Amino acid sequence: MGLKILLVDDEQDFVETLSERLQMRDMDSHAVFDGKTALAQVQSHPPQVMIIDLKMPGMDGIQVLRQVKQTHPCIRVIILTGHGSEQDRKICMDLGASAYFQKPVDIDELNAAIRQGPGNGPPNPSGADDFNHSFNTGCRQT
Amino acid sequence: MISLQRLKPAFWNHADDPGNYSGLNLKRKWKLIVLLTSILALSPLIIMTLVDFNLTRRTIETESNTRMLNSLHTLAGIMAASLSQNPSTGSALDLWQDAFHQLNTGPDNDLFLVDASGHLVTPSFHYDRESGQATLDTRLFTQTGGIVDWQTPDGTAVLAGYARIPGTPLTLVQLRQADWLKDLWLKPRLKLLWFLCVSILLILLSIMGMATYLVGRIHASERRRIEALHHEEHANRLASIGRLASGVAHEINNPLDIINQKTGLMIDLLTLGKEKSPDQRLLPLAEDVLDAVKRCGTITRQLLGFARHMEPSVEPVDIEEVVSQVLALVETDAHHRNIAIQVSPIPAVPGFECDRSSLLQIFLNLAENAITAMASKGILTIDVSREKTDQVTITVSDTGKGISPEDLPKIFEPFYSSRNDRWGAGLGLAITYGLIQEMGGDIMVKSVVGKGTRFVLTLPVKATRPPASDGSLHLPGSGIPVEPTSKDTPQGAMHVTKQK
Repeated sequence: MGLKILLVDDEQDFVETLSERLQMRDMDSHAVFDGKTALAQVQSHPPQVMIIDLKMPGMDGIQVLRQVKQTHPCIRVIILTGHGSEQDRKICMDLGASAYFQKPVDIDELNAAIRQGPGNGPPNPSGADDFNHSFNTGCRQT
Repeated sequence: MISLQRLKPAFWNHADDPGNYSGLNLKRKWKLIVLLTSILALSPLIIMTLVDFNLTRRTIETESNTRMLNSLHTLAGIMAASLSQNPSTGSALDLWQDAFHQLNTGPDNDLFLVDASGHLVTPSFHYDRESGQATLDTRLFTQTGGIVDWQTPDGTAVLAGYARIPGTPLTLVQLRQADWLKDLWLKPRLKLLWFLCVSILLILLSIMGMATYLVGRIHASERRRIEALHHEEHANRLASIGRLASGVAHEINNPLDIINQKTGLMIDLLTLGKEKSPDQRLLPLAEDVLDAVKRCGTITRQLLGFARHMEPSVEPVDIEEVVSQVLALVETDAHHRNIAIQVSPIPAVPGFECDRSSLLQIFLNLAENAITAMASKGILTIDVSREKTDQVTITVSDTGKGISPEDLPKIFEPFYSSRNDRWGAGLGLAITYGLIQEMGGDIMVKSVVGKGTRFVLTLPVKATRPPASDGSLHLPGSGIPVEPTSKDTPQGAMHVTKQK
């Protein structure tokens, strides 16, 4: 199986469909519907890439992103939201997100971002560092 | 007449003037102030003058009456003394002759003698000797002396003084014209009256002047207040439209992406899946759905972009993108009114920067203005060109009703509107003017009545100065310098220069 991907979004219909589509593109994707479950999943089965929605009940996407980056800096995080403002985008990129997409998203763009890593998104030195770090230090977990 | 028009204060004739809103009828207020102050200032003056007038008249009348009566009594006394020595009609006539000459008699100062039966003993200017009895006042024969008012047979109002000559049946009568006294007191008083009239006029003028000044100040501040209020209202309206737009865009994005992914999955299944497609038409259909989703996505993104740029900030701006954003907003309205929109190819302007929302607002205002001017049927043309390296020239023209040369200088004034409805508050072009001014740009209007209007604005490629720090717009006052352009411009062309 390909890259391990964790999708976090409260829109179940959406996230399950997206997960299925990613699976069809040879990825090991798994969907959860809230931030808490996502963090638990990260602890038990850390993925390589996370796709997170920003606006979710309970724990929101920015909190999830912050915690994931604290505990697992080598997991690449892609933000996919319908509620993005310029400010949110800046916050996410500063927190180390690799890419930021506004819904509705084109599957090919998303696919490219997942496979190519942070280079695909806007210039983000910290994200690039994480990426290189993950390969150079072997922090990539199975 | 021209000078009178110029003297007329600004608040006088505008019932719909913004300074006259909020129940303030300034014309009526002015009248009330003038009336009350005039009454307060002038009534003591007038009352004092009237009292003085009456008092003087009465004093002089009483004094002269007493004097007349005294002199008559003295004369009667003298005559009585003479007659007691020589009691005959002849001597009485002689005495009368003397007195007659002494008193300088004439038609206005008549002196005669009557006997107890009312017959005139001596001639009179006013009475015949035969018919006199019937017309003489009977008091003359019953009392010893006094003063009475009466009318002579020839219609003259007279003041009659009479005194019985003691020891004889004769009565001495003096008639003076009733108004002879007026000469004594009226003439000096007339000078005073003139003085009073001049002072009343001066007081009235100064009251009117002060009232005009005060009400004018109220009017000006009220106008300013309402301008600020309108401005705020407009800004609030824009902000709430922005909030609404972004709210709607956000909420639509989520279900839109469900459609997107579900359709995407269908396509995936049809293309990547192992099973054979049940119908060849399914794939293109699903792709059509995806296209529609993409279009919706563009619209929601534009709405978000519109809402996002409410705060002024100078940034690189793609004019083409702004124009297409504006067209997306006015297209429906234009379509309903059967108006065609022509946009010539927009040249790339590298390095063009300005406040994006301001540019958007300028385009939107000018486009809305053009569409309103055309009502139904017409062509709205937007043209962007770069004639100088450091300037962008934008032309927005319509084929609408045009603006008359008289109205042309007024169109950038706040509250000038050709529309009568309340929300055509007449701020659109004023705000546009303010925004262009803030950008360091320039706007020119050419209009021919019946043919259309053309707005030509030039904007600097590099923003010359940052927008106002408080984010407020500067509306032009009524003193916008408007000067005619060179002679070769079309009729009614005006050039509004930049205010320093």
